[in-house]
Amino acid sequence: MIATGVLLWLAPLEKKLLFLTRLMGLIFLTGLVSTLYGAADTTEKLLGDESDGSRAIPNHLIELLIADPIDENKVVKITPDDKPLLPFSTRQTCGACHNYKTICSGWHFNAPDPNILPGRPAQPWILVDTATATQIPLSHRPWPGTSRPEQLGLTPRKFLELFGRHTPGSGVGEQESTNSDEITREFISGKLEANCLSCHDADPAHNQAEYAIQAARENFRWAAAATCGFASVSGAAKYMPDDYDPFMPMPLEHPKLVPPTISYRVNTFDEKKRVFFNIVREVPAERCYFCHSNMYLVKKETEKWESDQDVHLAAGLTCVDCHRNGIDHNITRGYEGEETISANPLAATSSCQGCHLGEKSSSSTPVAGRLGAPVPKHPGIPPVHFDKLSCTACHSGPWPAQKTTLVKTSRAHRLGTLNVNKSPDAMPHIVSPVFAKQPNGKIAPHKLIWPAFWGVLKDQNVTPIDIEVVRQTAGEIFAKEKLTVSGGWLSLGAEHITEALKKLSSEKSVDGKPVYVAGGGLYYLDETGKLCQQDNHPAAKPYLWPIAHDVRPAAQALGVRRCEDCHSPEAPFFFGKVWVDSPVQGKDGVFREMMDMYEIGGPVYVRVNWFFKLLIIGVMTLLILHILGDLYRRGLLWLGKRFKRS
Amino acid sequence: MRQTSGTKAEEREFFQRFGLQFRVQHTLLFLSTITLIITGVPLWCLGRPEYGWSQAVVSTFGSIDVIRYIHRAGAAVLILVSIYHLYYTMFTKEGRREFIELLPRQKDVIDVTINSLYFLGLVKYRPGFGRYTYYEKFDYWAVYWGCVIMIGTGLVLWFPGVAARYVPWFTYELAAEVHADEAILAALALFIWHFYNVHFNPSRFPGTLLWWHGKISREEMMHDHVLEYYKKALAQTKSKGQKTEPQNGTTV
Repeated sequence: MIATGVLLWLAPLEKKLLFLTRLMGLIFLTGLVSTLYGAADTTEKLLGDESDGSRAIPNHLIELLIADPIDENKVVKITPDDKPLLPFSTRQTCGACHNYKTICSGWHFNAPDPNILPGRPAQPWILVDTATATQIPLSHRPWPGTSRPEQLGLTPRKFLELFGRHTPGSGVGEQESTNSDEITREFISGKLEANCLSCHDADPAHNQAEYAIQAARENFRWAAAATCGFASVSGAAKYMPDDYDPFMPMPLEHPKLVPPTISYRVNTFDEKKRVFFNIVREVPAERCYFCHSNMYLVKKETEKWESDQDVHLAAGLTCVDCHRNGIDHNITRGYEGEETISANPLAATSSCQGCHLGEKSSSSTPVAGRLGAPVPKHPGIPPVHFDKLSCTACHSGPWPAQKTTLVKTSRAHRLGTLNVNKSPDAMPHIVSPVFAKQPNGKIAPHKLIWPAFWGVLKDQNVTPIDIEVVRQTAGEIFAKEKLTVSGGWLSLGAEHITEALKKLSSEKSVDGKPVYVAGGGLYYLDETGKLCQQDNHPAAKPYLWPIAHDVRPAAQALGVRRCEDCHSPEAPFFFGKVWVDSPVQGKDGVFREMMDMYEIGGPVYVRVNWFFKLLIIGVMTLLILHILGDLYRRGLLWLGKRFKRS
Repeated sequence: MRQTSGTKAEEREFFQRFGLQFRVQHTLLFLSTITLIITGVPLWCLGRPEYGWSQAVVSTFGSIDVIRYIHRAGAAVLILVSIYHLYYTMFTKEGRREFIELLPRQKDVIDVTINSLYFLGLVKYRPGFGRYTYYEKFDYWAVYWGCVIMIGTGLVLWFPGVAARYVPWFTYELAAEVHADEAILAALALFIWHFYNVHFNPSRFPGTLLWWHGKISREEMMHDHVLEYYKKALAQTKSKGQKTEPQNGTTV
């Protein structure tokens, strides 16, 4: 581009053309400069963005910074004597040496970006409202089967209040609001910036549960700082009046209201007003666990000391040994085929196959066996298995039982935060392991949730109704029913659903035919007002997402004992019972067979089994009748002889 | 061939019903089959936790691998016997004759009907049978096709990789299902039906050694194979001119 511009500028042409040519050259050069300037945001390498080659962890004795509330482009240094004392901003403090914008383009932050390919469906956010018998998977990514948060009436602010606890900030946390009320509130609570400390703070005093508390209080500006061992935050922005100014706080009229306030522990600042952060480049597994823990609600092994660990962690690896990223934080998710959509060059070699088989590597050097990964031989296993099954089918998740079990996850059940409902009935109800086909056609173990929500049927599409509208319109119907103490389902009878659907149909904001989706069924009222159920509607399908961990050792993989681990009429792989979860009376406690999840008609051998059962019964009945007939006649002959003798 | 046996007071005549080749095949067949049943049942039950006793059987053998090896050894014997039987029926005179005798005929349908009426008391006499009764033919063909099914499905289970490559439609689980179901049918038919007919029926209880020495008494011949008996008699009459009973026996 430079060469083109220069050549055009210097071209020895006639005067007539000279002006036009030089103008074009100028346009080229201007375009080049503006392109480079625009790209500078994400390509600029700051002090901490490039390794100097040392594998040692750099010391992070740094100044706490925050953007000037008057001029956002100006950065202000925080000192212990400031009044009011403000929380540090990660955008400014960490962003001083690391390209914040580049980091925030990574997978953990980019969910709301419509330009990011969604990839394989993963765990959604799950909106639970026990008062309206709702549990619905949500996602900003267009994963089939999920709804967008705004469809349920969740503004970014409400979303953060509910789910910000288990996000690393940024993304939705820094979305620009268009609602004037929200803009006012945003001034008070601030934005939920990327919390670098969520992952990289190795300080044992780090408290991620504080992040959840601050998110619930709408103390978004204070949330990251509150997790540090050297700071504590009190008060709640949520209850501050609209005219409250956190940068020039005035005494509040209401004596019980406490404004959001931060205090730094004594001796946090050194003589140069710098603060030490125990930052590590490689994120400890413990940090990942805050958002990525699972608790399987089986009678045994629910306690930590009874359960096993992922075989990789037991072998000394950490999460980030496989889930790798550079400064762009475009972390590899580790599933097969990720390389087709991921810009991360390590995607192909970070999956199970990438490390253990090294098949997809274009590298001229060996890739298989990285970090000591054993290369499996799978002796005696027919190759068809590798075409039909993912590695996780045999190696991941809990050993399948005859029935699926409930599982709690950090993000769905607020694990690790204060006052968690520890009841096994607590919603949402996620069941696992469910063997089902992935989009790539391979069977893998999944977690599953049956959506339950109030929606509108229009052109055979079901759109969820804003949860507030449901509450206001039909809330009194459900209020008659007593909520369970355990946090489980509200028990809905046909009369409740009928009444609620009638009320919703008279609601102006409901544009279409109101329906209720639960337990795989779609409930609607026909022309006569009678409640009907449709079982095969796509909107009522369960949402499934694959599970990859914990990985079991080869000696505990499916099929290690014998083929009948899967290939027998009782094997959970085909005939396990998947719990169909529903608040509708009489519908709960129903099970479906695992093979239904493969979306196939069922293995041929099931019909063969029935054929043989009938054959055995038929043939043996005839043969036994023949024997009895023979005995009968022989008996008669014997009696006849005896009678003659006597 | 007729033979006689016993004291002067009770002299019994015997006919050589089965030759040595036939008996050896039968002996190998039943030894391998019983081995396969004994080792097959615990293998089948292992996938069914409700049958806890199968674990005890496994422990008795030592390990599941030991059971599997014995089962496969039994299968190998069965396969060899089956192959030899094909050779026997195709390339030996005796085998061809026996095979032809075992082919189902119209008379067998009539025999089944009459015998059923006889059991019901609707006719006075049971039908007269030839060299093989219809239920013996049933036994033979049940074993014949049973072997085809069991060996075919057993090989898929034994060599799943090869099967998946060359007959992918014949899935492992289909083979396992057919193998187990056919085995159950075969075992039930063997222990209930076949054992009753040859060992446990009142005229033979507690059993017969026909499978060992191949000889059958005149009474049994008259009862179960009367047509065969008279056929032999007729043949002898034609060859020797006078007697109405077969005289080719020797005194034992």
